[in-house]
Amino acid sequence: MNQIVSRRFFLSATAAMGGGLMVGISFSNTALAAAGSTVNVWVTIAPDESVTILSSGAEMGQGVLSSMPQIIAEELLVDWTKVKTGAAPSGSQYLNPVTHSQSTGGSNNIRSWFKPLLTIGAATREMLVSAAAQSWGVPVSQCKAVQGAVINTATNATLTYGALASVASTLPVPTSPAVLSSAGSYKLIGQPVARPDIPSKTDGSAIFGIDVRVPGMIYAAIKHPPVFGSTVNAITSTPAGAKSVNVGNAVVVTGATTWDAFRNAKSTQVSWTVPAGNSSASSSTILAKATALLKNGPTTPAETIGDVKAGLAAAAKQINVTYTLPFVPHACMEVLNCTASVTATSCEIWAPTQGADANLRTAIALTGLSAAQITIHPVLMGGGLGRKFEQDFISQAILASKALGAPVHLTWSREEDFSNDFYRPMAVCSVNAGIDASGAITAWNNRIISPSVMMRMFPAYVKNGLDTVAVAGAVALPYKMGSRYVDYANVPSPVPVGFWRSVGESVNNFVLESAIDELAALAGKDPYAYRAAQLSDARALGVLKAVAGMIGWSTKPATGHARGIAVSEGFGSYIAIAIEMTAATASTVTVTRVCAAVDCGTVVNPDTVVAQIQGGVVHGFSSALWGNTPISGGAAQLRNFDNYALTRMGNMPHIDVQIVNTPGAPLGGIGEVGVPAVAPALANAYFALTGKRLRGLPLKIVTPIYGDD
Amino acid sequence: MATQAVTLTVNGTKHTVNVDPSTPLLWVLRDALGLTGTKYGCGIEACGACTVLVGGGAEKSCEMSVQDASGQNITTIEGLAATPMHKVQLAWIAEQVPQCGYCQSGMILKAVELLQQTKTPTDAQISAAMSNLCVCGTYQRVRAAIHRAAAM
Ligand code: FES
Ligand code: FES
Repeated sequence: MNQIVSRRFFLSATAAMGGGLMVGISFSNTALAAAGSTVNVWVTIAPDESVTILSSGAEMGQGVLSSMPQIIAEELLVDWTKVKTGAAPSGSQYLNPVTHSQSTGGSNNIRSWFKPLLTIGAATREMLVSAAAQSWGVPVSQCKAVQGAVINTATNATLTYGALASVASTLPVPTSPAVLSSAGSYKLIGQPVARPDIPSKTDGSAIFGIDVRVPGMIYAAIKHPPVFGSTVNAITSTPAGAKSVNVGNAVVVTGATTWDAFRNAKSTQVSWTVPAGNSSASSSTILAKATALLKNGPTTPAETIGDVKAGLAAAAKQINVTYTLPFVPHACMEVLNCTASVTATSCEIWAPTQGADANLRTAIALTGLSAAQITIHPVLMGGGLGRKFEQDFISQAILASKALGAPVHLTWSREEDFSNDFYRPMAVCSVNAGIDASGAITAWNNRIISPSVMMRMFPAYVKNGLDTVAVAGAVALPYKMGSRYVDYANVPSPVPVGFWRSVGESVNNFVLESAIDELAALAGKDPYAYRAAQLSDARALGVLKAVAGMIGWSTKPATGHARGIAVSEGFGSYIAIAIEMTAATASTVTVTRVCAAVDCGTVVNPDTVVAQIQGGVVHGFSSALWGNTPISGGAAQLRNFDNYALTRMGNMPHIDVQIVNTPGAPLGGIGEVGVPAVAPALANAYFALTGKRLRGLPLKIVTPIYGDD
Repeated sequence: MATQAVTLTVNGTKHTVNVDPSTPLLWVLRDALGLTGTKYGCGIEACGACTVLVGGGAEKSCEMSVQDASGQNITTIEGLAATPMHKVQLAWIAEQVPQCGYCQSGMILKAVELLQQTKTPTDAQISAAMSNLCVCGTYQRVRAAIHRAAAM
């Protein structure tokens, strides 16, 4: 459990861009602040005492626009009601100190930034204190910061931060500022403060990528090929009044409005070059290939502990089972879009993106401009879920703007978004495990066959064919197991695969926690008691016990009801989920209750933690119950929300979330933590209810709601 | 696609736009009038992100043509947000409902309609009325905010 298999490391593919932390601090001058201008800094203090603190993380709903400033505010000593937050532009000051990248993913912003942000807050506070000392002509030791002001301890005179800001901004940044707060003494950290971005999300004023409007811009839509991997051979006809641009993997088509562009894109005629073999790819051909690899290999070992063959031979009982998971789309609420304005000497990009610095590299490559000539403007994302790391929609807008000589606002239709995703990889996974007479696990042999995301995106980080992301959640398990052997093989296919909220964990935790449940049944033990006995990790046990208490595991559920439980570890955090369900008819399950106990170490904003777990559980529901991208003819057979089920209010029972604190535990991530354990908890509850073990996703045991029309 | 002058009243203001009259109201609001608070999610009345009030009732603006909308009083999220904020918006802030926020304009306007029709809706009535999609999964807080607004 000490080894956290994380996506952090490869996000530093451009580690050369910067090392170490550059604390960029300055203050706006009064005129700028009054005008509300954003300057390239962390903290801006206005004469009205409002404090604007930037976040270097990209906001997609996870609350990073609020939680990063909350950490700075702890040390800065300001009243949270005076704090406004904003998104930082791209810049070397904002590179994640661990990943050396301005990317948002892997639930790592708060984990990487916690200490540096405290230091930035402390440095800013010390500059204000120095400014006050200078104004009064007294030593710094005679001055003390209190909420939003500095007090002269000899005279009790005070100067507010607003009055000190312009002098402070001229002072040098302290090289080793003193962080005053510490775990146990935090005043703001750990408080459920209101998120400053929320009012703008209730009055329509929040600007998402899709809302960007720049002078002279042209609305545009996209037309992708009907088979994955194809390229444009020729554009054979474009509707009257529209323009079309060949961007290689697709055609960008303009219109008077976005809707007009959608219509024009549909009627544009294109001949495509289809790579040999791609048009015959289907869910069943890919599954057959994966199944052959599952049987015969070759595979790469991911973890070897002890002698699994001997462990199996010594076992009193065994399971030998196979789990199957499909490709799953992201379906972010906001479709992919990008606004780009390219001239001979400049390039500006406004995009809902998780990878601001990847956008910069894309723009450099496509325009030949220097980094200094390129501006990446931060905008809100209407969900990211991993999809908005990709560069396809960014490239298309840049190329179209270049070709048309005008700013282009490119929006994908929902149909294009669904059918041209980088899907969560399908997987076929086997578990052959043995237990002794007491139920203890003597051997655990898990084989994972799944298309590799890393081989496509970061091949340099794949050693000996092992995709560490694909096996995340399958190695370094929190259970006592006599011996283990986990291996992996990539199954190549034309279907694009990408990072998807909680990636490997969402695949492997379904396998792990379903199989543990099967072992419990094999041993004739209660699923909770069995886990409690077999877990080796104290924090995993902590959340398991907490969730059992929440749902009242020791009391039998009402007649006709049953419960399932699952525990997962990932992103430096632990969660256990317990689900209760009932079935009116054998095929229609109603989930009546969900309880989640989470241990993510130090908590910055507990209300955000609760929100992320609530949202993660809903996302886990959608993908476990219905998530599937059928492939045939080398294309995704998905179009829109009328035939793709996602959780709606009528399907969603109450979710109780409890935060379990392990004193002194390191800070964990939260954005992805809620997802993985949902699928196994559902399948395990269904087994308890019906005696039927479901080993394939989607489970399809709940009738979906598609809307009210 | 011949354009035509179409007059419509949005948030109490009359606008005349030159568009193809079959253009959905959604895209006239967003692309012609710059009212981007109303969102595109599906274009086929399956998600509710584009919900606006037309003559007081919640309508999905993605499949209502601007021609059909002309002559009616249209309220978008920007129009609901007059000072002081609507009680539904205040309840939304109090419950810290939005995550990414993308679906929330539609959610809020749908909730406004629900509370006009049913002063104190039950959980079942809320579930039945609120079929809007929220991929972030804010449903529990939406429900709590509707109960809160009902009590305000
Ligand atoms: S955009 Fe109108 S219902 Fe989805
Ligand atoms: S808040 Fe993000 S989709 Fe609803």
